[in-house]
Amino acid sequence: MSMTSRAGRFPIPICPASLGSRRFPTLGEFVFATAQYESGDWDSAPLVPSNLIDSVARYTSLPVAPTGAIVSLASDDLFRFPLVFLTGHLPVRFTDGERANVRRFADRGGMLFVDDHNHDIDGAFHKTAIEELSRAVGPLSQLPNTHSIYTAFFKFPDGPPNTSHELNGWGDNLVHSHLLATMRGDRIAVLYSNKDYSSEWGYHPDNKRFLAVDNTKFGVNIIVYALTR
Amino acid sequence: MHSRAERLRRIAEHGARVVAMVALAALLWRAIRPPVASGVDVARGDLRSTLERWTVAPAPEMRVTLDAAPDPRTRDWLRALSRSGGLVRWSSSRPIAAAAVAAEPAAEPNGVTRVRLASAAGEPVSVADDAGALDTLPRGGPAELELAVVAGAVHASAATFNATTDARDSIVLRPVLVLGAAGWDSKFTIAALEERGWRVASRVRVAPNIDVTQGPLGTIDTSSYAAVVVLDSTGASSSAEIARYARTGGGVILVGSSARISGFGAIAPGKVSARVAGVAGAIASAAPRTGLGGFPVASPGADAVLLEWRDGVAMIAARRVDAGRVMQVGYDESWRWRMAGGDDGAAAHREWWSHLVAAVAYAPLVPRNSGVTAVDETPLASLVDALGPATPTNDRLARRTDGRRVTWILFTLTVVSLLGDWTSRRLRGAR
Repeated sequence: MSMTSRAGRFPIPICPASLGSRRFPTLGEFVFATAQYESGDWDSAPLVPSNLIDSVARYTSLPVAPTGAIVSLASDDLFRFPLVFLTGHLPVRFTDGERANVRRFADRGGMLFVDDHNHDIDGAFHKTAIEELSRAVGPLSQLPNTHSIYTAFFKFPDGPPNTSHELNGWGDNLVHSHLLATMRGDRIAVLYSNKDYSSEWGYHPDNKRFLAVDNTKFGVNIIVYALTR
Repeated sequence: MHSRAERLRRIAEHGARVVAMVALAALLWRAIRPPVASGVDVARGDLRSTLERWTVAPAPEMRVTLDAAPDPRTRDWLRALSRSGGLVRWSSSRPIAAAAVAAEPAAEPNGVTRVRLASAAGEPVSVADDAGALDTLPRGGPAELELAVVAGAVHASAATFNATTDARDSIVLRPVLVLGAAGWDSKFTIAALEERGWRVASRVRVAPNIDVTQGPLGTIDTSSYAAVVVLDSTGASSSAEIARYARTGGGVILVGSSARISGFGAIAPGKVSARVAGVAGAIASAAPRTGLGGFPVASPGADAVLLEWRDGVAMIAARRVDAGRVMQVGYDESWRWRMAGGDDGAAAHREWWSHLVAAVAYAPLVPRNSGVTAVDETPLASLVDALGPATPTNDRLARRTDGRRVTWILFTLTVVSLLGDWTSRRLRGAR
């Protein structure tokens, strides 16, 4: 099964097990939620949820829902999922309702993890997402590589792990040494990545066995950080 | 030879002169006599001058009629008179309202002073500190205020009393230890407490033998922690230590089903019932906790105090365990209140958690010298303690023993007698 993104450029496989339905968390269970927004291609990385769910189940004892959820940024359901993943390639323009909800979500302690699927600082997603996020929750700044998110579970002493897309020269041909973040107090409210983890983690979990080092470990750190800090 | 009428007239004139002389003599005697009282003496008018008089010459029974609870100085003066041999009784010209006011540091990190006030309902009470008015209770009754800053003493005043108190103590507040599994409840409980200013140490279980920790982690005792919050079954490994901590004065909060841990059986306020769901949509209502699910407190112990009920079941209960306090909170997903509650959901969730911890926290008092000396926290009770209960007013006795009334009677008698004598003599032509 596949579908085409709104830009028509990327054939997107849909995995019913990961993005097939809205799902509300049951008691004490972590549900990986992907943000749906009006503009752009919110559903450009459909395999990331199932891959990270697999990693969380593999490395931790957290009760985790076997399937992810899709939640509209403009919906009150957003507040059922304190960690939400947002990605895309295309320009991002929040509606007024989405912007207000994202602001409220951040103020209440939610964490939005945004990944630029283009890996391109001149790309449309990066420019518009940064602008929209700044309007909604305040300016983003570099997150120090000594931040506790890099030691929340696995240790990343050099900061965010590089992706194969950075190293092979795709996108902006840069290796981004830092992630960006907007803070609320000493907690991350918005974590922004130019590193294209959406592509890096966008594969079927069974294929981890072909990797020398599991490249989703930093995803586990993001989830553990969100659940503990 | 005088007629019979003329003789009677002269006798009457003599009589009037004698009466005037006797009245004048009595007045003179009353003016110059040594201040010796006898019988019952009732104070009227200026109480201070009466007290001065009673101090020099106490009557066997001294009575005061008050229209308000006296200030501590007057009360102590009356007490001293009663202890020095005289019988001091008091009554009131109108009902004096019972009142009490107390100020103490709240066991919360924001340094607020909690003022608790109780007065008879009906009479307006104004609350102030030395810097000015703070609040007014239009009908009195019980009230509790949290003051961020208190300037000097706190006063609660009404028509019949003026109570004064002082926050005499400070507190030592140590960190709170939060134990739980990684999850939204752990995250948002820690966040709520930290955002209210608590120092939080936490041990959050992520995987077997892997915990995410923060803050000072060590032996669980009252020298290390003000309270311990157990969010789930991950606290089982420390249950014996936590139970011992509670018995030695520590505060423990058992959340959700954590009270089922066998090690907490002896300290938990009750058993744990089957989980009940929250009311759909209620989390953003005026009663947000009705939207939360949880494990009600079942079979509460005889010494347990049920603090919150919902639909006929207890959701929060507490009890004292030796020197410590243990609270059982049935709600197990309070984070939903913070995320999905109304506009004040996050703040209310924060405040709720802080109040829960403050209610059980071990917070040793440290005396401080505030410089306030005139403390009178319970004016009426202190008056009763000093002089005994009020004696009903006895106006007849008061009239009988009123010194000023006697003076006026003697003076009037003198004037009338002299005027009568003078008028009679002038009418008959004598000088």
